[in-house]
Amino acid sequence: MIQKKICMVGVHGTGKTCLVQQFVHSIFSVKYLSTVGVKIDRKEVRAGDTDVTLMLWDLEGRDGTRDISASYLRGAHGVILVADGTRVDTVDQLVDLRRIVDDAVGPVPSIVALNKIDLTDEWKLSQAEEAAAGGKDVHRVRTSAKTGEGVESAFQWLAEATLVAKAEES
Amino acid sequence: MTVSIDSFGISDQGKVRESNEDNFLIVDIRKSVEVKHSSLSADALANRFGSVGGYLFAVADGVGGGPEGERASEGAITALLGYATETVGCFHTYSAVKEHELFEKLEQTVRGVHEKLIAENEGKRGQAPATTLTMILLVWPRAYLVHVGDSRAYVRRNGKVQQLTRDQTFGEYMVNIGAWTEEQASRAKPAATLSSAIGGTELTPVVGLVDLEPGDSVMLCTDGLTKHVDDSRVASVLGNDASAETMARQLLSDALDGGGTDNIAVVVVRSQPE
Repeated sequence: MIQKKICMVGVHGTGKTCLVQQFVHSIFSVKYLSTVGVKIDRKEVRAGDTDVTLMLWDLEGRDGTRDISASYLRGAHGVILVADGTRVDTVDQLVDLRRIVDDAVGPVPSIVALNKIDLTDEWKLSQAEEAAAGGKDVHRVRTSAKTGEGVESAFQWLAEATLVAKAEES
Repeated sequence: MTVSIDSFGISDQGKVRESNEDNFLIVDIRKSVEVKHSSLSADALANRFGSVGGYLFAVADGVGGGPEGERASEGAITALLGYATETVGCFHTYSAVKEHELFEKLEQTVRGVHEKLIAENEGKRGQAPATTLTMILLVWPRAYLVHVGDSRAYVRRNGKVQQLTRDQTFGEYMVNIGAWTEEQASRAKPAATLSSAIGGTELTPVVGLVDLEPGDSVMLCTDGLTKHVDDSRVASVLGNDASAETMARQLLSDALDGGGTDNIAVVVVRSQPE
């Protein structure tokens, strides 16, 4: 079966681990525990006619003192850039995070997940800001790790994009 | 930068239990290539060859009472030893992309012990033997982690101690999903029941990795230690300028002084710039 390494990248506390937990185990954890290093999960999905095993690398978040480690990104086939729509600073850093990913692995398929849409009262982004999040030429999706909204489709889109990228390579 | 690895493990029955069901393992996995004689210059040979290898560190806490629990944790540890033997020399081939194969083999080892325990105890009465397992395969600087149950792994970096593992217990699960508060979990008797164990009804190994830096320390331990020694004390001991043996013995002593109500196993690993 085809395996694809997918990295979850973002500022700390944006919900990367919760998105993976929701996607893989259909659970939402209310207790915040920061990730140290990388936690790895896997899930099989069907992309078109192909069965794909997604190896989900949940990277520890950028926290002001430590940046995303290029060594963790090495070999990635796709990236989910996660921002918290209730914290504008996490959205502002998406472009820089994309640059780090590009430097480490080149132009791999990536998607911006604007997470925590269930927190409607605290949502800080206008429609225009959402449309610009992460810069040009990037797919975006609004997600809630709590309710599951947008989660499945984000991973599914990326799985298919990694196959398209591979087909274009060959 | 090259680093030296100093490690030490110790286990103790504690003050209450009648036997010791905890086990630990430290393995130096090494395959070296040494040029005995060559017409090539020293410059041409420099850094072309050298020793390639890693270290395997593990703790396991047997569940089931007496010999059954001991056998369960022994089984997990000896299976890891078999894994280490099989993988000697493989580190040449583990590229970043092939790391997933390494994880799969580690997980297969864990599942193999699980299935063996289940088969051996099918139809028997009483509590089936099971075990936790927390292990790190260190191929500097990368530390690969596989974890089942409520033993723990910590890393100390820049004066700060962080827990690498999450307890796989019923209480932790209930807190995570918001059904219980931490306080409720601390009082509820079933909170300590393992939600995942090798040989248990559920097995959900967690895998991960962390790149270590020179000066980092790592500690693996069973819950006999963490019942009596809190994170701040762990940080304090791991912050001492002392050998791994001194640190491990100090942590064990702290756990015994705190009551020693359970078996204890602890492994301390120090990395030092050479």
